[in-house]
Amino acid sequence: MSPYRSVQLPEELCERAENWSKGRFDNLEALIVFALQEIVSEEGDKLDREEEELVQQRLRDLGYI
Amino acid sequence: MKRRSLVLVTVDCLRADRVDVRGDASRVTPFLASLAKESVSFLHAVVAGAPTYFSLPAIMASRYPLSLGREVVGIAPGESTIASILQGSGYQTAAFIAANPYLSPRFGYSQGFQQFSDFLGQEGSTLSEPATISEGKRPSRLNQSLGRLSRKTKFTAAAYDELYFRYCQWRSARQECSMDQLRRYPAADVLVDRASTWVRELGDQPFFLWLHLMDPHHPYYPPEEGLRLMSCSHITPKRARFLNSFWNRGDLSAGRLQRHREEVTALYDAGVRWVDYQLSRLVSVLKETRRWSDTIFAVTADHGEEFLEHETRYHSPTSLSEQLLRVPLLLHAPEPLGPKVVAAPFSLIHLAPTLLDGQGVEAPRSFAGRTHWKEIGKGEMSGSPVISECIDGCNNPLRRTNRIQPRLLAVRDGDYKLVLRFRDGTDALYDMRADPEERNPLTDGVASEKRVQLLRIAWEHLRHSREGRDQRLALRARLREARQRIELKVGNAEKSQVESAVVAGEHG
Repeated sequence: MSPYRSVQLPEELCERAENWSKGRFDNLEALIVFALQEIVSEEGDKLDREEEELVQQRLRDLGYI
Repeated sequence: MKRRSLVLVTVDCLRADRVDVRGDASRVTPFLASLAKESVSFLHAVVAGAPTYFSLPAIMASRYPLSLGREVVGIAPGESTIASILQGSGYQTAAFIAANPYLSPRFGYSQGFQQFSDFLGQEGSTLSEPATISEGKRPSRLNQSLGRLSRKTKFTAAAYDELYFRYCQWRSARQECSMDQLRRYPAADVLVDRASTWVRELGDQPFFLWLHLMDPHHPYYPPEEGLRLMSCSHITPKRARFLNSFWNRGDLSAGRLQRHREEVTALYDAGVRWVDYQLSRLVSVLKETRRWSDTIFAVTADHGEEFLEHETRYHSPTSLSEQLLRVPLLLHAPEPLGPKVVAAPFSLIHLAPTLLDGQGVEAPRSFAGRTHWKEIGKGEMSGSPVISECIDGCNNPLRRTNRIQPRLLAVRDGDYKLVLRFRDGTDALYDMRADPEERNPLTDGVASEKRVQLLRIAWEHLRHSREGRDQRLALRARLREARQRIELKVGNAEKSQVESAVVAGEHG
């Protein structure tokens, strides 16, 4: 199975993104990968869940759950 | 019915005890003390986060600072704020921000304002990036080497630090500077002048004016007139520079810093006094232009300031002490509010919806707070739990690694305050009536029902913050930041780093 996937994007949008990313990224794919990685990063969510669990556990320890 | 206008003044670092109508605040804020007699004064207004970058989302958008996730700093693109709502209702809107880089268009604060002047990169401000807030220059290579060598023992380290400090003071003392030259932010008179011009040009149109004043913010270089008003003209610019440098030393214990605490707070108070005087000028302009009688005038702060009460200085997000969380709040409005004192705790998460209600404008459903306008008018304010949060130790939210850290959370209800420090998994419960200085946390067996109640409120807050998150807004804010990070990077070296990270499948 290929580690890559093809997607279809509007040509005009791709041209605008390529113009914007000139000098910043070598190609459009690099820009899109960077943007997607920003979107899917879950480090903050992981901390949120851990903090909720911590408070839940504290309530359990105090005998109230 | 003629629509009212709104003036919101947020003063950076303004402590509640400097505008306390019950105490001796008239020494520092005589104008606000007199205004309080015809206003609603909140004795216990509490910010939803500290410092500035964690506080302002609640004031402007009625949103808890971490509700869009800790990756988001500031106001998200398209997020509803009090400014955008009023602008959409036909108000003329303007903001004058005294060069606080966290309250800039970069962080979304210009949304909803037809005019937004942040004074960044202008005369009177030496700040362009938050990370550059610091006194002095980097030590030379020789000094850096000596500094490293001196760390071999505590004694040589302390001796080196003291000698280096005295050397820096000797060098800087050779340059004569005025307070105006040393100050890093435009003083309040500059903003009030600009705001006054704007108001005078408006005519009869309803308006929303936001001023963010920085005069009490460190480094403390108040206008000389402010020192004169506080009978502190003997503090020269040279002396002020020494005091600020001394106060900024990271190598001294709280015990040694105490030595100059009184003079440092004198500088701070002179900055507050200057703000007080300038607010009297602004009100005069509103009266002169016949706008005062149909304007709601609100004065508050984004957070307080510490002066070694807990052996800490400034307003670092390493604690959620009362000195940081409790802020002044004065509301002057045409009827039906009238002069009142509100003793019940009031979270600033409710400020924007309350002010909108005072304008006869409905708050959006996205606002986490709710209006208390009617209860205030009837004098029927009752207390409800107040929540404040920040990211523990996040002194520079521009650095992603600083933001992706555990939070600090404080829940206050009645006389009890629970502070949860997620970094070490601890919680501390304080009886604020018996222990207002928060020095003696109660043991587990004491007031356990109260502890459980506050823990449940904390849990509900965390759960709602995550499950109720507006993912579209959060995404827009994260993409904005990603774009800004890319735009700030210049040159092939940085580009290579970004691309290498992309190729390696890593991120950050």
